[in-house]
Amino acid sequence: MALLEVNDLRTHFFTREGVVRAVDGISFSVEKGKTLGIVGESGCGKSVTALSIMGLIPQPPAKIVSGEVLFEGQDLTTLSEHKLEDVRGREIAMIFQDPMTSLNPTLTIGTQITETIRRHYDVPQKQANKKAIELLEEVRIPRASERLKDYPHRFSGGMRQRVMIAIALSCDPKLLIADEPTTALDVTVQASVLDLLDDLRSEHDMAMIIITHDMGVVAEATDDIAVMYAGQIVEQASTLDLFDHPEHPYTEALLGALPQLEGEDIRHRRLTAIPGRPPDLIDPPAACRFAPRCRYAGGDSCTEQMPELREIRKGHWVRSAHPASERAGDRAAAEAPA
Amino acid sequence: MLKFIVRRVFWTIPVLLVVIFLTFMMMRQVKGSPFRHTERAVPAAVKANLERKFNLDKPWYMQYAYYVKGVFTLDLGPSLVLRGRDVNDIIKTHFPKSAELGLYAFLFAILLGVPLGVVAALRHNTWVDYSAMFFSNVFHAVPSFLIATLLIYFVALKAGWVPTSGWTSWEYKILPSIALGFGPMALFARLVRGTMLETLQQDYVRTARAKGLRYRRVVGLHVLRNSLIPVITAAGPLLGYIITGSFVIELIFNIPGIGGYYVTAVSARDYSVVMGLTVLLSGLVIFANLVVDILYGVLDPRTRDVRT
Amino acid sequence: MVANPSDIREEGLAVEPGAAPASGAPIRQSNLWKDAWRRYLRNRAAVIAGAFFLLIILYCLLAPILSPWDPDAVKYPIAKQDPSLSHFFGTDKYGRDLFTRTALGGRVSILIGFGATVAILAIGVLYGAISGFVGGRLDNGLMRFLDALYGLPYLPFAIITLAIIGTTNMWTMMIALSIASWFTTARIVRGQVISLKENDYVRAAKAVGARWYRILFRHLLPNTLGVLIIAIFLELPAVILGEAFLSFIGLGISPPDPSWGAMAQEGRSTYRTHPIEIVVPSVAIASLVMCANFIADGLRDALDPRSRKS
Repeated sequence: MALLEVNDLRTHFFTREGVVRAVDGISFSVEKGKTLGIVGESGCGKSVTALSIMGLIPQPPAKIVSGEVLFEGQDLTTLSEHKLEDVRGREIAMIFQDPMTSLNPTLTIGTQITETIRRHYDVPQKQANKKAIELLEEVRIPRASERLKDYPHRFSGGMRQRVMIAIALSCDPKLLIADEPTTALDVTVQASVLDLLDDLRSEHDMAMIIITHDMGVVAEATDDIAVMYAGQIVEQASTLDLFDHPEHPYTEALLGALPQLEGEDIRHRRLTAIPGRPPDLIDPPAACRFAPRCRYAGGDSCTEQMPELREIRKGHWVRSAHPASERAGDRAAAEAPA
Repeated sequence: MLKFIVRRVFWTIPVLLVVIFLTFMMMRQVKGSPFRHTERAVPAAVKANLERKFNLDKPWYMQYAYYVKGVFTLDLGPSLVLRGRDVNDIIKTHFPKSAELGLYAFLFAILLGVPLGVVAALRHNTWVDYSAMFFSNVFHAVPSFLIATLLIYFVALKAGWVPTSGWTSWEYKILPSIALGFGPMALFARLVRGTMLETLQQDYVRTARAKGLRYRRVVGLHVLRNSLIPVITAAGPLLGYIITGSFVIELIFNIPGIGGYYVTAVSARDYSVVMGLTVLLSGLVIFANLVVDILYGVLDPRTRDVRT
Repeated sequence: MVANPSDIREEGLAVEPGAAPASGAPIRQSNLWKDAWRRYLRNRAAVIAGAFFLLIILYCLLAPILSPWDPDAVKYPIAKQDPSLSHFFGTDKYGRDLFTRTALGGRVSILIGFGATVAILAIGVLYGAISGFVGGRLDNGLMRFLDALYGLPYLPFAIITLAIIGTTNMWTMMIALSIASWFTTARIVRGQVISLKENDYVRAAKAVGARWYRILFRHLLPNTLGVLIIAIFLELPAVILGEAFLSFIGLGISPPDPSWGAMAQEGRSTYRTHPIEIVVPSVAIASLVMCANFIADGLRDALDPRSRKS
């Protein structure tokens, strides 16, 4: 049994302008000790997915309208808020995009770590403090015991994200959800935070979900990748397979948008931007949602009906009428310089 | 932190000097002599004597210097009209009653206004929120003399539960305190609701929930604490609001406080009393701002580092 | 055609709506206000308050003209009447029609209100614009001074001002009420000027050597207009309540031109037997103040979308 299994999850926002289908029927699973990457543009529903798992979506206006989130076989969407509070922080922990605003500015770092520990374990403050120091050392914050009494504004962005990680690890969760953990950080700091996350994941034997818009982030740290577009998963495969043989035109475009730092064609290959914008998620048409931006779409079924998510080969799922391996013929033409 | 407090305390001295100066200069412009109100025409010699006694014969900056010295030695000088009484006496007689009234009104405003704002924010966009806000909008707009009059009419006259006016035992103090407290209460409720709604949107509140903290702790520690910090800054203006209201309330309920006496002193042209009371009231607000700033520094660690 | 070559460059760079007399600019500005108007209309409370506000003003203007009752005629036989079809608000202790008198009082109160508000805005804009525009140590000093005065009760200072002038009429009342009430407006204007100063188009104008008065009067002040319109409706209620308080403690304008506050003060003597006399002018004050508050809220949402809460 997978540690986490999400089945046909739909989270909609009920706004004055209409129902926004932010997450529209997605399924995936995370095995114990593995890392899943969820990739997509901003607004594609990846953060809402994470918040839905945690039961942290803003209600109202958002609501999980159907689907289940099975954590160790238990459906989290049916749990009471009271029971969910026991799962959060203890079984599933989460770190957020912006470390500058994710810590309470008026409480010390120490308080914010130990309150988590003492919420889930019945330990005296002293012992919680000791554990907090260990945690800060583990996330490589220098002079950990002194910094316990400091307030968040005294830490840099990267340091704050480390504190967030320490808080997330404080109760040895089985699953860590990292929502854009490096997006708000300086480029130089990003790599070290990512390395830290990966090290800690293997040391603590956690499973991890990394949510990002940055293909470069998921390339190294993940076992599997799910690509999301407009509230749906459009491609899902092992990381290696996905990078070597992307099937969905959107994934291809995403990879095309990734700067290549190696290889000889670095000089003459340009970063390709994806033309157009993601569709409006209020009453989206029944067609493939990527069709308006897809270079292969037109004159066939995908502009009239939604393609199914199908297993194009073992472990590689794709939702497109024109996966790469089925249009081998056009490929050369498409890649030829225009 | 200590450095910050010391600096902030020292900063109030020039502020106080400026306010005294402004009051002083304004009072010098007031037309008419306090002495012409005595029944007999004052002989020139006596007038000169009086003026010497009150330092009125000195140039203005000397008068100002004397006055500042008086303020800082807590001696506001004699009354110009009431023989044998000085301003300190008058403050001693009238101020405690005003202070008591203001304190009760303030407590009433906090004890009702803050919970009202909290509940409205936690039940955002429900009938609880709407009725709390309607209520506070109404009481923010209704002049306190109407509230006072209606309270007297219904509670004191019709029902006869409490006396209509005076300031002696506790049953006299209920209506004026409530009448004065309604406006600030409405203000508190609106402020608290606003800051609560803002805080509830903050990322760190989501973090607190993601840590699995109980709702009680999330709201009680993370939300409420950070919501009330900005509300504290309203204490200065709120004190001004209460002082203004007390002028009216003291008149209606016949309370021998500062507000009522102020009006009397102005019409009697008793400059030293008017000035003394103005400096006292301004000093109170300046002091309140000082306390607010220090409290802010204690409660919000960010300001501490910026300012020191 | 253009005398100074630097003018050409400057006109070309001034992209802020309305500043450049280029043909495209006015259209963008009208859109700006149209958008604001549309946002205002979406706020139902503000729309109702706005309509009611106009209704009150219409009533104050028209009721004395249309009413068959002489607002000053003393008629003891019909004194202290309750509201009826012939006297919508009843009559006072002298038998004067309250419906007509309240309208007259409203003229005085609202006139004083708007007059004092204009004075407050004038002082506030001057102080705030200088502080924000010059910046540096002057700004620091001026703001420290404002901080000191923050929250100072206006009533004692208004009373002293009236004592200085010696007479109490509509004009002196306006002065008295604005003398210690302009601090907030000054702060708002200063904040706006400072944030506008940081805008790229102002920097661009500066970079091409536009003179300071041009930057101030063409780029900065026109863009504080929105904030000032909001400030009108923020200050108006405070001023109207202030006038009422002053009149109520006996320091207001004397009859025969009653303001709402003066009417309430007059009604105080008979509240035991005939409470309507104090209730009518008080409710009039409360309605106007409440309308102004809602209008201010609506305007803030409409004109200053950044400050809007979700």
